[in-house]
Amino acid sequence: MRILLVEDEIELQKSIVQYLNYAGNLVEAVSEFRKASDKIHEFDYDCILIDINITNGNGFDLVKELKQAKSKAGIIIISAKNSLDDKITGLDLGADDYLTKPFHLSELNARVKALIRRKNFEGGKAIAINEITIYPDDRRVLVKEQELDLTTTEFRLLLYLITNKNRVVSKNSISQHLLNDDDIEQIDNHNFVYSHLKNLRKKLVEKGSEDYIQTIYGIGYKFKVND
Amino acid sequence: MKLTSKSILYYLVISLPLLIIACLFSYYLIRSELRDGTDEILTREKLSAEKLINSSTNLNAITLLPDSFFTVKVMPFHINSQQYSDTIMYDKVDNELKNYRVSKSYYNHNKTTYLISILKPTLEEDELAEGLLSSLFLVIFFLLLSFLFVNWILSKWVWKPFYNTLSILNKYELKKNELLILNPSNTKEFNELNDALIKMTDKIYTDYIRQKEFTENASHEIQTPLAVIRSKIELLIQSENLKEDEMLQIQTIETAANKLSTLNKALLLLVKIENHQFKDASELSLKTHIENILAQYNWVLTDKNMEIKTAFKNDLLFKINPELLDILLANLLQNAIRHNFKNGSIEVKIIGHTLRIANTGDELKIKPEELFERFKKDTAKTESLGIGLAIVKSITDIYNIDIKYFYENKYHIFELVFPLKHA
Repeated sequence: MRILLVEDEIELQKSIVQYLNYAGNLVEAVSEFRKASDKIHEFDYDCILIDINITNGNGFDLVKELKQAKSKAGIIIISAKNSLDDKITGLDLGADDYLTKPFHLSELNARVKALIRRKNFEGGKAIAINEITIYPDDRRVLVKEQELDLTTTEFRLLLYLITNKNRVVSKNSISQHLLNDDDIEQIDNHNFVYSHLKNLRKKLVEKGSEDYIQTIYGIGYKFKVND
Repeated sequence: MKLTSKSILYYLVISLPLLIIACLFSYYLIRSELRDGTDEILTREKLSAEKLINSSTNLNAITLLPDSFFTVKVMPFHINSQQYSDTIMYDKVDNELKNYRVSKSYYNHNKTTYLISILKPTLEEDELAEGLLSSLFLVIFFLLLSFLFVNWILSKWVWKPFYNTLSILNKYELKKNELLILNPSNTKEFNELNDALIKMTDKIYTDYIRQKEFTENASHEIQTPLAVIRSKIELLIQSENLKEDEMLQIQTIETAANKLSTLNKALLLLVKIENHQFKDASELSLKTHIENILAQYNWVLTDKNMEIKTAFKNDLLFKINPELLDILLANLLQNAIRHNFKNGSIEVKIIGHTLRIANTGDELKIKPEELFERFKKDTAKTESLGIGLAIVKSITDIYNIDIKYFYENKYHIFELVFPLKHA
C-alpha cells in the first residue's frame, strides 16, 4: 500500500513511517503544506494521513484539495485536538477517519488497514492466516473450516491482533481499542484485556488452532505467525 | 447586625450618658437658680420687715405674706450677719415634711436687737429630679423614634445602591464568562465602591481567562511530545533483544506516559466544559443512558462479582448535551465500581427528580467537601487520577444540578437533584 504521511513533528513522523513500513506499506512523509500539496497531485496514494496543524498551512485545506482533485485515496486526519467540532469539520470535508494524538501506532495501523479494505471493496474478502480465516464484514471466523463462536469483543480483539501481526501490541493499546476511548478514567482495563484474551486463546486452541498469541512479559501480546 | 442599626446603637450608647450628664447639670443649675431666686425674695422681705420694724410698734401683728412664716424676736446680742439655710419642717396642711429656705438676720432698732427669721417653702428636690427624669425618658424615646425613622429612610433610599451592588455581586460568577455590570448611583462613596469592584473583577476575570487559556494551550502542547514518547515506546517493544527487566522498565514508562495523556485529556475536557463548549443539548432519558453505560461495564461487574440493583420508579428526562451526560454518568458509575469491594454492591435509583448512586465501600479518609476537588484522592490508588469527580462537579455546575455526597450505613452515596424544567 502506498501511504503519504503529512506530519511536521519529525520524531513522530519517523515512528509512524517505521511502524507502517514494517506492516508492509510504502510510506512517504512530508512535513510541509506545499510539499504535501505537490505530492498529492503528483502521485496516487491508497491512504493519506494528515495532521491538521502543519507548517505553512492547514490540514483541512489539503483535504479540500484532495476532494477537488477527485482523489480516491482514503484520508485519516491525525490531530492533537480532541474536539468534536474538528472531527465533524474533517469528516464533512470528506476525510474517512479522525484519530486524536497521542495514539497508538498499532491503532493507526488498524485504522489504515480497515480504511484501505473499505476503499478497495475488500470487505467481503477474507483475511486468511494459516488455519484461521476471518470475514471482517460478516464478523465470522473459521478455524480449519469450522465456525468459531466469538463474542464481539473477542472478535475485535482477534482482528486487532491479526492486523498488527508479528508486532507487540501493548495492553493499553488493546484496551483503548476495545473500550470507549472517550472514557477519562478506565477501570481495571488490564484485567479486562487479560480475561478476554484468555477466552479467545482457549476458543482458538479448542478448535484445533495453533496457539499464535504470545504474552510479551507484562507489556502486551503478539500474534506470531511465520510468513 | 445591620450597619444602620449598629450606628443607631452607637448613637444611643453615646447620647445616653450625655443626656444623663445634661440632666444632672440642669438639676443642679435649676436648683441653684431657684435658691438664688428664693434668697432674693427673702432679702427683699427682710428689708420690708426692717421697714416694718422701723415704722411699727406692735411687732406681734406683723405678717408679711400668707404663705410665709415670719418671726421677729428680740435678742440680747447682735451679730452682724445674714444667714441663709435649708430646713425641713412639718406642714400641717399637706400633712408631710416640706423643704424650706430660711433667712436669719439681726436688726438693731431703738437699741433693741431683733432677729428676723423668714421661711419660704422651696421646690422639693425629689420633685425636681422626678420631673427631669421623666423629661429625660421622653427625650430618649423620641430620639429612638427619630433614629428608627432615619434608619428606615437610610436603608430604603440612601443605602439602596449598596444593596443593589451586593445582590449583583452575590449572583456574579466568573465561570459564566460575563463582565460585572453595576448601576451608577448618586452617592460618591457607592460609585467609588462600584468602580473599585468593577476594576477588581475585570482584573480577576482577565486573569481567570488567561489561566484557562494557559491550561488549554499547555495541554495541547503536551500532546505532541507525548505522542512522540508513546510512539517510540511502541517501536521499542518490538525489539527482539530486550531482556525481561528492560521490558518491565519500558512498561513502567508506558504506564506513566499513558497516565499523563489521560490526565491531559481530562484537563482539556474540564476546560472545555467550563468554557461551555458543549452546546447542543437535547431532552435525554437518564434511564436509557444509565442502562447503556452499565451494559458497557458488565464485564467488570461480573469479574468482581458485584451486585447491581437498579430501581427506576420513573424515567428522568433532562435537557443536556449527550456527550456530557455520558461523561457524567460514566464517571459516577466508574467511581462506584472502583471504590467498591469485591462482591460488593451498587444501587442506582431514580426517584422523581433525584438520581441516587450508592455503593459499598470503606469510609473516606478525606473530608467529603474535598472530594470534588481536582487531584484529591482518598488513598494512593494508582489507577485513579482523582479528576473524575472534578469533571462530574463541573458538569453539574453548568446545568445547575445539585450534587451531594454522604456516607451512610457503609454506603457511599451520591445524590443528584436535577432542576425542574425551566422556561
